[in-house]
Amino acid sequence: MKIIGVVLIVLALVAAIVPMFTDCQSQGKSIVLENGKTVAMKCHWSGRAELVVAVPLFVLGILFMVNSNLLVIRNLSILGIVLGIFIILIPTTLIGVCINAEMLCNSVMRPILILSGILVVVASSIGLWISFKTQAKPV
Amino acid sequence: MAICAFLVAGFAIAIMLILRGTENSLRLANDRLGADIIVVPVGTTTKVETALLMGNPTEVWMPESNLATIAAVPGVAAASPQLYLSTLNNAACCSVASMFLVAYDPTTDFTIEPWLNKTIGRGLKLGEVVGGTHVFVPEGEQNIKIYGYFVTLKANIEPTGTGLDQSMFLTLETARDIARLSTELAEKPLIIPEKSISAVLLRLEPGTDPMTVSAEIIRRVPGVTPITSPNMFQAYRQQMTGLLASILLVLGITLVLSGLLIALVFSMAANERRRELGVLRAMGATRNFVLRSLLLEASILALEGGLAGISFTILVFFLFRNLIMRSFGFPFLLPNPGLLLIEITVGLVLALACVTIAAMIPAYRISHMEPALAMRE
Repeated sequence: MKIIGVVLIVLALVAAIVPMFTDCQSQGKSIVLENGKTVAMKCHWSGRAELVVAVPLFVLGILFMVNSNLLVIRNLSILGIVLGIFIILIPTTLIGVCINAEMLCNSVMRPILILSGILVVVASSIGLWISFKTQAKPV
Repeated sequence: MAICAFLVAGFAIAIMLILRGTENSLRLANDRLGADIIVVPVGTTTKVETALLMGNPTEVWMPESNLATIAAVPGVAAASPQLYLSTLNNAACCSVASMFLVAYDPTTDFTIEPWLNKTIGRGLKLGEVVGGTHVFVPEGEQNIKIYGYFVTLKANIEPTGTGLDQSMFLTLETARDIARLSTELAEKPLIIPEKSISAVLLRLEPGTDPMTVSAEIIRRVPGVTPITSPNMFQAYRQQMTGLLASILLVLGITLVLSGLLIALVFSMAANERRRELGVLRAMGATRNFVLRSLLLEASILALEGGLAGISFTILVFFLFRNLIMRSFGFPFLLPNPGLLLIEITVGLVLALACVTIAAMIPAYRISHMEPALAMRE
């Protein structure tokens, strides 16, 4: 479980930090309005939303490491799967990123977040499976 | 052992994806261009191929008078001129930055027009364009702005995995209209040199040798280079051949190292269970039974690792395909599901073979050990 916890912590950091360096705002690009003001593009807001998911995921990873109770692990795993799904949904469906394939947010940020989300789901699923398998062993 | 299988299978599928993906892409781009020969100004072959493959805009020019001379060469069934242009970078008058524009003559064109007739039932009118698969109307807008001129996106061509996916096709009439109005509407005008074209696309009569026609074109028209279809993107094919050699070398090294590591690890693991295997033999299990069990265990681990490696590699290639294309500078297109399944099978077989062969010797040695010897401390 410690390994799963470490993996979740690393993936939470990836989900939180990667958008800060790969969204269009970090590349100096934004939407310029008629009145001259600039507004961030939606990839920036996707990055912000990822923070909201990454922080609880980080805490989840720590809880994975310090807990050995099977029921707790099972519940944490289910939560992990849900958080992983949200990491995927934010840059794809819920908010999205720039459509232009040449933008960094589309070619780097989005794939990294999707991959991170998938790995969170896989790691949490393994934790869930272990919690059931361990319980099934005769005393 | 599973990790070795992960690496071997992952590497194998990565190689197949890169090679097939690039070859597929080049073939589709070639088919999309539809020409037996493309005639370009001398010394611009690489620039034009890069523009077509990677979508990096280029502007090359030759006299328009070349068209008639080239069309008159024996063996030429159809000749159609094209202009290569580009949108501005970081300009408010262009809603798409640095996009490669291809202007064609609808009266002589034999690639885009037939496709348009099939797709939308007619050719392009003034102000209409066709885009590659990645060309789209910016969110919140109705049209695409080019040099301050609004064009209507009528259709998108199928993906080719090349720069054509980010290119735009328009008629010569629309291009000239944009150039005329750009002096008032754009930050920088679009300049199309008088009586100039960028390339001539040729379709040959059936049975004509492209090399013979090319030689005749060079003889009659100085200052041009004909690129025949089989030689199209030759520089990229050569680049791929070089890359293939390096990748195969790395795969070979990975296979050898993985094999040695698997043999070592399996030998240690089987040695740990020496006593149990000895008891099994003493209870009546045959040598073959023990050997088969050990190899089955190795195969299952190989399959698990192989599947994980293949899944991970395909996922990475699917998610990062645009970045791979841009970083390595070669076109790439994912294979269709049927072909992908074949490649997955090959990858799995390779992983399975590598692990099974590597585990064979230690498994044989342990299974053929005398039970009494095996059970000894």
